[in-house]
Amino acid sequence: MLTRRNAGKLIAGAAASTTLLGAGFGSARAAGEKEIKIGINLPLTGADAEGANRIKYGALLAIQQANDSNAIPGYKLVPWVLNDATSTAGQYDPAQAATNARKLVADPAVLAAIGPEMSGSGKAMAPILSEAGLATITPSSTNPDITNPKFASEFDPSGKAIYFRTVTTDAFQGPAMANFYADVLKVGSVYVLDDSGAYGVGIADTFSARAKEKGIKVLGRDRLDPLQADYTVGLTKIKALNADSLYYGGVMGAGAKLVKQAYGILPQKMPKAGGDGLLAPEMLTSVGFPAAEGWYCTIASPHLTEDPQVQPFVKLYESTWHTQPDDYAITSYDAGLVIVNAIGDLIKAGKPVTRANVRDAIQASHTKTLQGEVAFDQYGDVVNRTVSVFQVVKNPNYPLTDIIHQFKYIGSAPTS
Amino acid sequence: MSETTLVTQQVINGLSLGGMYALLALGFTLVYGIIELINFAHFNVFMIGSFIGMWVLQAFGLSGQSVLLTGLPLIGALLAALVVSMFGSGVLGVAIEKYTLRPLRGATGSAGGTIGMITTIGVSYILFNVILLGFGADTKNFPNPLPTIRFHVEGANLDLRVILIWVVSIVLMVGLWLFVQKSRLGKAMRAVAQDAEAARMMGVDVDRAIIMAFFWGSALAGAAGLIFGLYYNFTSFLIGYTAGLRAFTAAVLGGIGNIPGAMLGGLIIGLIESLGGQFIAVKWTDVIIFAILVFVLVLKPTGLLGTMAPSKS
Repeated sequence: MLTRRNAGKLIAGAAASTTLLGAGFGSARAAGEKEIKIGINLPLTGADAEGANRIKYGALLAIQQANDSNAIPGYKLVPWVLNDATSTAGQYDPAQAATNARKLVADPAVLAAIGPEMSGSGKAMAPILSEAGLATITPSSTNPDITNPKFASEFDPSGKAIYFRTVTTDAFQGPAMANFYADVLKVGSVYVLDDSGAYGVGIADTFSARAKEKGIKVLGRDRLDPLQADYTVGLTKIKALNADSLYYGGVMGAGAKLVKQAYGILPQKMPKAGGDGLLAPEMLTSVGFPAAEGWYCTIASPHLTEDPQVQPFVKLYESTWHTQPDDYAITSYDAGLVIVNAIGDLIKAGKPVTRANVRDAIQASHTKTLQGEVAFDQYGDVVNRTVSVFQVVKNPNYPLTDIIHQFKYIGSAPTS
Repeated sequence: MSETTLVTQQVINGLSLGGMYALLALGFTLVYGIIELINFAHFNVFMIGSFIGMWVLQAFGLSGQSVLLTGLPLIGALLAALVVSMFGSGVLGVAIEKYTLRPLRGATGSAGGTIGMITTIGVSYILFNVILLGFGADTKNFPNPLPTIRFHVEGANLDLRVILIWVVSIVLMVGLWLFVQKSRLGKAMRAVAQDAEAARMMGVDVDRAIIMAFFWGSALAGAAGLIFGLYYNFTSFLIGYTAGLRAFTAAVLGGIGNIPGAMLGGLIIGLIESLGGQFIAVKWTDVIIFAILVFVLVLKPTGLLGTMAPSKS
């Protein structure tokens, strides 16, 4: 647990390693310490850049703490940050993610990775990582196909789980919102949109399937092109159908424009929701009030940033990076803790620190993290399946871009 | 919402899109008409025009959706944004012509053809990346100084800003048409379009005519960029791509090189987008637009209003 006292030490450590990162990786290191590289792959530019950077900071913090406290004696963890967003896509780009996966695999010093943020990238990276036996832990990508044994030939040809998650999947996140619509908001009909990405299509599918089971009428389904600017046409159509509610599966690329344009067209009171793709800083910066007001969104993890036990971490994160953590910054920190813990287990057991052993150790690990104990099933999915529901509600007591206080926590979603 | 209301609403949506596409299409057509060059840098001149508009409005203290102006300050801010983004984009267009295309023209006699076109693709990527690297990739919250005033036509909403798009588009398009038809410089431009060599021999300043085509084409793109920002309340480095491609399609559909053709093409593409989205599905928009383009070009290769260009030897 972090305390105020060791927080001060950490800040100093963080400052020191930031300078170290600036000077190039591994320029100054105690003699005799072996280097383990941890790949971090996120869309650090593009439509989701802010959220991606918060996730990066969470991972970096875990790595720094491990180095400062000498959690893995004889070894030094070195983060290797890669960007999978490209200018042509304007957001994450699966082709770039595949290239980055090959880079990680090609460097024998890389023994584990954190990321990617996006499922579209995950689908491109998983087969490459699988062939090389390199484990990655995603703090936020929720598309269930990647770890579904039905698609193992596509995403996990080697047969051993390499795609671990510190969040649950859309097999639970999409249905959770459908449960919330049916049981809490009692909507009768819904129109479903997605952003044509792997995550967006997947979560919209699982949402629709559960909505139908719960007796909600799905009035239609359409697809948005994230490069397109105008969604007024589709929104006018939805308005004309008199749908009770709207569900959008997708990330901020199309989401920011959708939420903005929906404001002028759809009734203010009509429930509108998305998944964790909408619970992003861009919802408050690119969209802002009043357009964002009232939108529901979910995350595929317990809500942590307002948990009293997590406050020391939140304070440390803020003082280190001068920005707020969101829940996925915490699941990313948790991913870092899992890797550190797994490598530590290996060393305690006296086993050689290799990629294959690190993978096995992550698979077997039970790690105390900020979200509680993290353990994985045989496919790499986290055992805890909590989905939390939020609503954008203007809170005048905090800055309008405050990602913790402008997203009001409603509670964990009904599970059935 | 009744069927009539719905169709009226989608026609309003389509005409707003169409107005923007038409303004953009004019830039393609103006340049093509004179030097037979498809100027792909135009996509991102439009994008930069929208950023310039945003900066001007921000300089008036406007940001996000918070500050609403009324009366004279509102008109002043909008006019300033319009003039500065048109002028800035126009100058950018002229600079592109002067520094990247004119040297080519000197060598080959014409900047048209593949070399010029590929150059403009390169320039387009440079502009795109300058904005991306300089100002970041996030969607920018475009200031919205306009009060939300709505009129109702057949039960459909007609926003003040939609009327603004139409008025500005029509004024600029008619102005351009009059300029090209009536003014001395416009006549010089048309002469160069018909036969540059003969025009030069008759004492027409060919370089000046070409610069004018780039200036006004790009200035209209700047106006379209500002209108885009005001209408959608956002801008980003990405907006040039889809809008530019649609506008280019509009220019070809109407008959590239033909000014009324570009306007007509823009409106048609806008309406196809909205009515196709309503009655088929939004995800098929591109398929529908390009299918209609192919269909029209097969039946009439010069586009709707285009005539066979005289072959230039």
